[in-house]
Amino acid sequence: MTLIADRPGPGAARPYRFPPVVRRAVAGGQVVAAHLPGQNLAVALLLLDVGAGQEPVGKEGLSGVLAKALEEGTAQRDAAAYALAVEGLGTALMTGLDWDSFQASVVIPVDRLSAAVELLAEAVRTPKLDPADVRRVRDDEATALRMDWANPGPRADAALRADLFGAENRWGRPMHGDPDSVAGLDVEDVTVFHSEWFLRPGTLIVAGDLDRIDLDALAAAAFAGTGGGPAQRGGPLDVPLHTGRRIILVDRPGSVQSTLRLGHPSPHRAHPDHVPMTLAGTVLGGAFTSRLNHLLREVHGYTYGIRGDFASSRRFGRFAVSSGVQTAVTAPALVEAVGEITRTQAAGVTEDELEVARSWRAGQLSVELQSPRAIASALTTLVVHDLPDDYHARLRESLLAADVDQVSAAAATHLHPEALTLVIEGDAAVIRDDLTAAALGDLITNP
Amino acid sequence: MPDSGYPWPIETSRLDNGLRVVVSEDRTAPAVAVNLWYDVGSRHEPAGQTGFAHLFEHLMFEGSVNVAKTEHMKLIQGSGGSLNATTNPDRTNYFETVPAEHLELALWLEADRMGGLVPALTQETLDNQRDVVKNERRQRYENVPYGDAWLRLLPLLYPPGHPYHHATIGSMADLNAADLATFQAFHQTYYAPNNAVLTVVGDATASDVFALADKYFGALPARDDIPSAPDGRSVPVTGQTAVESVSADVPAPRVYIAHRSYPFGTPGYNVITVLATILGSGRGSRLYQRLADGERIAQPDLVGAYGVDLAHAPAPLIATATARPGVSAERLAEGLAEVVDELATVPVTAAELDRAKALLSTGWWRQLSTVDGRADLLGRYATQFGDPARIADQLPGLLAVTAEQIAEAAAEVLATDRVILTYLPEETS
Repeated sequence: MTLIADRPGPGAARPYRFPPVVRRAVAGGQVVAAHLPGQNLAVALLLLDVGAGQEPVGKEGLSGVLAKALEEGTAQRDAAAYALAVEGLGTALMTGLDWDSFQASVVIPVDRLSAAVELLAEAVRTPKLDPADVRRVRDDEATALRMDWANPGPRADAALRADLFGAENRWGRPMHGDPDSVAGLDVEDVTVFHSEWFLRPGTLIVAGDLDRIDLDALAAAAFAGTGGGPAQRGGPLDVPLHTGRRIILVDRPGSVQSTLRLGHPSPHRAHPDHVPMTLAGTVLGGAFTSRLNHLLREVHGYTYGIRGDFASSRRFGRFAVSSGVQTAVTAPALVEAVGEITRTQAAGVTEDELEVARSWRAGQLSVELQSPRAIASALTTLVVHDLPDDYHARLRESLLAADVDQVSAAAATHLHPEALTLVIEGDAAVIRDDLTAAALGDLITNP
Repeated sequence: MPDSGYPWPIETSRLDNGLRVVVSEDRTAPAVAVNLWYDVGSRHEPAGQTGFAHLFEHLMFEGSVNVAKTEHMKLIQGSGGSLNATTNPDRTNYFETVPAEHLELALWLEADRMGGLVPALTQETLDNQRDVVKNERRQRYENVPYGDAWLRLLPLLYPPGHPYHHATIGSMADLNAADLATFQAFHQTYYAPNNAVLTVVGDATASDVFALADKYFGALPARDDIPSAPDGRSVPVTGQTAVESVSADVPAPRVYIAHRSYPFGTPGYNVITVLATILGSGRGSRLYQRLADGERIAQPDLVGAYGVDLAHAPAPLIATATARPGVSAERLAEGLAEVVDELATVPVTAAELDRAKALLSTGWWRQLSTVDGRADLLGRYATQFGDPARIADQLPGLLAVTAEQIAEAAAEVLATDRVILTYLPEETS
């Protein structure tokens, strides 16, 4: 035999060490940095304490328009000159938004970091926000969302979110808004939102070789001209579960696949069950080897892939499953998915499955120690959720220590198969009868 | 900034059976990337068997002599690793990044499926993965607006019989016709140690890796008659512009202009890479400045230009734009063609050249900032050019491109056959 039959065991594990974290208060703001000696690339990320959750109801997408408008010229130069200055350094201004925070960042060789941070601050703190430019950016963003919403997915996501959290609440509406909400914004919405939120100092996150970086100088540039304290964050929301499953059908005539989004509300990020809940989600739908992917892809061939997880922000969370399945098998795929969620809630996880889930989650923490981008992202988690410097090392330990009883208890407590909302975006004329016959819940057609 | 494009060590070895092994040590993180390039892609597929190389890639995760069905994924993820594989016209790559103590497991798994796939391959597995791949085709190409652009561009760029004429995903008809014996033969033909490069990057020493490679792969037999793909290096010029217009369920008119350029790895392709960056990367690019910002006929997020890095024939150079509301496809196509054509007539300025090189430089270091990014590139240079150390020349090669070379390449490439693909929303067509 030319192959070795015996599977090798692991070698000695290298210790897990998160890079040393530096925290400093400078020029009215906070700096949180990680030292990556010898690293040629660096990341600087300005984290502002304003997320989609702070946008007024009816003004969804405001942050996205503002983010784009930041690059349409500043107090010092016009849009074309700004683009050439940033790209001439070899970088681009990246912006990002979630429910809790807004970020603007640059990735760049370390010797050009300070010039890049000056340009980043110039755009975030002193954008021109000329009314004609803001209107054009708004129209372009509405068009971009219209393009995006022509793909399968965004309409189903919006239907699920509205049903879980209520469309009367900001968090019951799409994080990035929809084509109509963006089209309805006016210039003043954007300028007022900027002056209210983007002139507070926030936190500067830096990942790179700190021997070659002057943190104080970076902070002075990032926080110049800022003032005001941190925002009121508000406590965790009490989001009620539905009684009984419901099905929402979003019509997509002619679709060769049905896009599935199944979900229900779940706890916020600081909930004490965060780790066992994450592991329960991993066993059920969080990795290629998960129960859902095994059943729907590897056993039935219904889909290219299916994923499910618990996700959470400071104030709320949700459990959700997403997939695209061949139109003809829409109803059987839903029956299988709901069945697997029900089994996991009722019977919990096995040691064999949990062993894979905990080693995978813990091991990924090591694998993710490589790039400055990944380290900056880990630092962002510390800041947004008020976590200590040794959080990732502690997280690794709690993942590895979680046992079957804890994870099964989390599945029993936080999975609610009877309260699921099932959103199906597909060819309604073809699938409606099958969905009714499957009797998974009350069928509601999307308004 | 380092002078070399690759400031890490590279050590190479070749086993007696022809398997090339490349190691690049870096102790920064306690992780190691394992990567295998097999020199087989969709360019090897004969007529009637399109999509087979990629469907085969799926079968490689379904078990082998000593690895039960589904166990491959479970073992890698259960060790904290992440894994995947991709197939393109040129090659098939398999890769995993694991905490360093699991290196030996990853090598054992890769050896088992290189040497022991066929006895484990069943009709049931083939039928299941055929369904998965057909769903992949629906999800990525059929169910999304403009999703089939690549499938349409390839046959317009490359004539029937050319190895790049058909897309890697293949046709539904061919996938339906796939039989088990064909896949058994596919493995026996192409998945031989002398048709592969094994690359390991990260927290491991070269001598350890060489010894482990020999332990697990050393006894696998070489194959001495691996058939080569059809030669596609010379493509007959038709002298015609190929125009295709598609009415589809799309939200706005979109235009692609494409040409055959030079194969990846040649100095000419380096010039095309810089040219494409000047033309279509970022807010400072010509397409953005002229069509999105200046004339305001194109949507800002959707203008772009890029080369597709294929190495075995003149590679595609593609420019694209999508109309702003109220702008016709004709107006957009005119504007796009005008900016593309000016590459040959309006000299590239020093500022344009510097901007492109700075962006490409950062892009290079980002690609190399992870061990898996490095492993895949080393595997590429070893497979396609016979020497992984050529990786170090890539960035200097890009940085040496001159404005004169860009003007010459533009004149040459744009003068050859042009492809224009236009999408029109159904209701306005």
